[in-house]
Amino acid sequence: MASRMLVQQRRVPAWMQHPLVRKVGLGFVGVLLFLLVWQLLVLLGLLKLPAPTQVFADTRELILHPFYRGTGNDAGIGWQILFSLRRVALGFSFAAIVGVAIGMVIGASPLLYDAFDPILQVLRPVPPLAWLPISLAAFKDNEPAAVFVIFITAVWPIIINTVVGVQQIPRDYRNVARVLRLSKWDYFWHVMVPATVPYVFTGLRIGIGLSWLAIVAAEMLIGGVGIGFFIWDAWNSSLISEIVIALFYVGLVGLVLDRCVAYLGKFITKGSEV
Amino acid sequence: MAKPLIEIDHVDMVFTLPDGQRYPALKDIHLEIHEGEFVALLGHSGCGKSTLLNMVAGFLRPTAGGVVLRGRQVTEPGPDRMVVFQNYSLLPWKTVYDNVALAVRAVFPRLSKAAQHQRIQTALEQVHLWGAQHKYPAQLSGGMQQRVAIARALAITPQVLLLDEPFGALDALTRGSLQEELMAVCQTVGMTCLMVTHDVDEALLLADRVVLLTNGPNARIGQILKVPFPRPRSRHEVVHHPSYYTLRQQVVDFLQQQRRRRAVAVRSAAGTGTRKVAVGFLPLTDCAPLVVAQAEGIFAEYGLEVDLCQENSWADLAEGVLSGRLQAAQMLAPLPLALAVGCQDQPPQPALKVPLVLSRNGNGITVSRALYEQGVTDVAACKDYIARTGERLVLGVVHPASMHNLWLRYALASAGMDPDQDVELVVAPPAQMVYHLEAGHLHGFCVGQPWNTYAERRGLGKCISTSLDWWAGHPEKVLAVHRGWANDHPDLEVALVQALMRAGERCDIPKQRPAIAELLSRPEYLHLEPDLIRPGFAEPLATESHYPRLHQFAVGQASSPLPAEGVWILTQLARWGLTPLPQNWWEVVHTIYALDVFIQAAQALGRPDTIPERRQFALADGVLFDADNPLAYLEQFPIRRAIDYRTVCLVEREESPCVP
Repeated sequence: MASRMLVQQRRVPAWMQHPLVRKVGLGFVGVLLFLLVWQLLVLLGLLKLPAPTQVFADTRELILHPFYRGTGNDAGIGWQILFSLRRVALGFSFAAIVGVAIGMVIGASPLLYDAFDPILQVLRPVPPLAWLPISLAAFKDNEPAAVFVIFITAVWPIIINTVVGVQQIPRDYRNVARVLRLSKWDYFWHVMVPATVPYVFTGLRIGIGLSWLAIVAAEMLIGGVGIGFFIWDAWNSSLISEIVIALFYVGLVGLVLDRCVAYLGKFITKGSEV
Repeated sequence: MAKPLIEIDHVDMVFTLPDGQRYPALKDIHLEIHEGEFVALLGHSGCGKSTLLNMVAGFLRPTAGGVVLRGRQVTEPGPDRMVVFQNYSLLPWKTVYDNVALAVRAVFPRLSKAAQHQRIQTALEQVHLWGAQHKYPAQLSGGMQQRVAIARALAITPQVLLLDEPFGALDALTRGSLQEELMAVCQTVGMTCLMVTHDVDEALLLADRVVLLTNGPNARIGQILKVPFPRPRSRHEVVHHPSYYTLRQQVVDFLQQQRRRRAVAVRSAAGTGTRKVAVGFLPLTDCAPLVVAQAEGIFAEYGLEVDLCQENSWADLAEGVLSGRLQAAQMLAPLPLALAVGCQDQPPQPALKVPLVLSRNGNGITVSRALYEQGVTDVAACKDYIARTGERLVLGVVHPASMHNLWLRYALASAGMDPDQDVELVVAPPAQMVYHLEAGHLHGFCVGQPWNTYAERRGLGKCISTSLDWWAGHPEKVLAVHRGWANDHPDLEVALVQALMRAGERCDIPKQRPAIAELLSRPEYLHLEPDLIRPGFAEPLATESHYPRLHQFAVGQASSPLPAEGVWILTQLARWGLTPLPQNWWEVVHTIYALDVFIQAAQALGRPDTIPERRQFALADGVLFDADNPLAYLEQFPIRRAIDYRTVCLVEREESPCVP
């Protein structure tokens, strides 16, 4: 055994085995390979899309000046993303507040849980865009309708995870609270909230991901401003390279959002390895 | 006696299972816990001991009966009954300090910040964790976490501390040190504790009383052991205490018996509706009538299919009949009466009836070889020996409610010794006495034959007296039957009594005895050489010329239960504080002694069916006992405990509750 391990060590230098180097390096190689294959496919005529080199050439302006400001809807891709983010922030904040509150109430009461569980189960799988017409009908305006779609998309996983979190509070913690006759407030603050936080953040992470998915689709339909509209607009103008670069940004922002919520969750539950 | 701090008052617990079936977990549990006492609940897992604890804690409401703390019924959990859970139950997002602080602030909200802090610090110092107060539970070992949980409990000074297998999840080393720490803390604070455990040594180390629960369903209190080790205790002293091993053996035997019980229960349940009867016995010479009736087909003549069940101890036998696992049993004469009036703080339980005396006499007192050689040749000589050496003699008896215990105490007291102070009396099953004598746990014992002879033959001890010296013709073993079974099967009960009367008559024919000794020696009964069984039974005992009177089964109406003797037994049980002395003593004796069944059986056999109307008699010391005036008889004894003289309610609880 020992001799084999020695042989392996000789083959790969120690610095290359550092996890960060490994990850970044291999990731970089992966991206390069991906672009290479793409380029090849286009060159061979198998893919009717602009090649990566073409994309970079076409969207130089967009990449270099993300916060360019023109007239009307003509704005840099950075602005478009910020607009979308503003809607998501609004809708998601509502969803977080309402979802956690409802989840705590329903989770704490078996009666309410039994009453509302069917509603949750039916509304949860409704696709985000299916909400758009009804919210347009209700709000008679694009902006609140878009925010509402974000809200309604994100709220279900938040509610459901909070409910589970409250229901999963270990019996022992509840027993301790019962023996000590903790007041409702003390129980809420010292037991229920900390015990539920990890579940809530699972819900928030799913929620933020879904919100970002929903906003792009919603904006394509609503129009006006935002990254979704930007993509739709580019399609209408046959600017395929712009679509490609926009998609890249959408993915990047989604990743950053997810990581932000995850980090926040980790920060808040620090010290309580639940 | 002072009012108990906690009274678990005839509690039943029935769970409704998810499929709608009802599972009776606990049945008629009665337990009183006094201030400052440490009580351990011991039993196999699933027997309902945690259920019982949870009822005291208030997490569960009993189906019947109730739990009373300081005169107030327990209806919900509260900080006066703080619980230490097996899995610590600390809040992981709070530091050690904040975990304790949460409890202190919840229970003492009006206390100043400084006073609250003082409480928290004191509690953490008591468990030696001051210094780790800013750590999170996840940073601590299991043992340290449980110490935090104990500190949290101590910090709010509950009236009783409830511990639910607190050390069950810890490794042996940590468990040991935590046990000693808990013991030290409880002793300094004088905390009342109720602890659930399945660790025999833990129970014996920590508890003042060990409550043994039978297996469920319908788990009951099988036995309560007083743990006599002086406090403050240390593990070393406890383990080397002379009665440690006898106590430990008793507990282990009980638990083993419970394990076997399920198989037997299945067997006897199959026999309902037939003429099957499970009869319990202990391997002793005077189980001869049962063995003869079985081996010679007398039971079969009466159409009985008897299953003779050998048990470990008298407590097991009593538990067996009370639980319905056995329908009848050979039993110590005082035991059914003691149960009926409530032995050792247990509620009255008139569930057994006595239609027949199985044997009279047959006991002996044996002292160790060493003691005998130092001049202890009779019981009175113990006094000189104790005065000379200052040694505290440890003597074994087979059960608190046994003629052995009553005799040994009577004899010691007659010789001017207080059996509770001058010597130590411990309980051990008859078959284990010789082992304990050999191991040096006992200096002597009072036990039935053949165990005295066995000790002598092995050169370990010397039999210095037989019960003939004390009371020739004393009732020794009786037939106890379960009242409920007898009510359902009156014909079987009479048949059983008839068969045993005839077997007893057979055992009293001297010519038959060598053959019976042979029979008893078989592995399924005594599993001893016939040589050891014959002395006193089929040939004179070395020191005696009494043969064959040492064992009487039928001669001279020996088999009829005499109520006056029952009253005498009641006086002696009360004399030593084992039971109250019932004001309604005649009622008690006549309820337990089923004279009607005896008469019916005697008539059917064509034997004399009159019970001698004897109300006065005297033991060998000549002191006259008048069954119409038991209190006067008791009061003339200079050495006795305070007499608890009161009316004992004999109605079985299910039928009509007894209002005091």
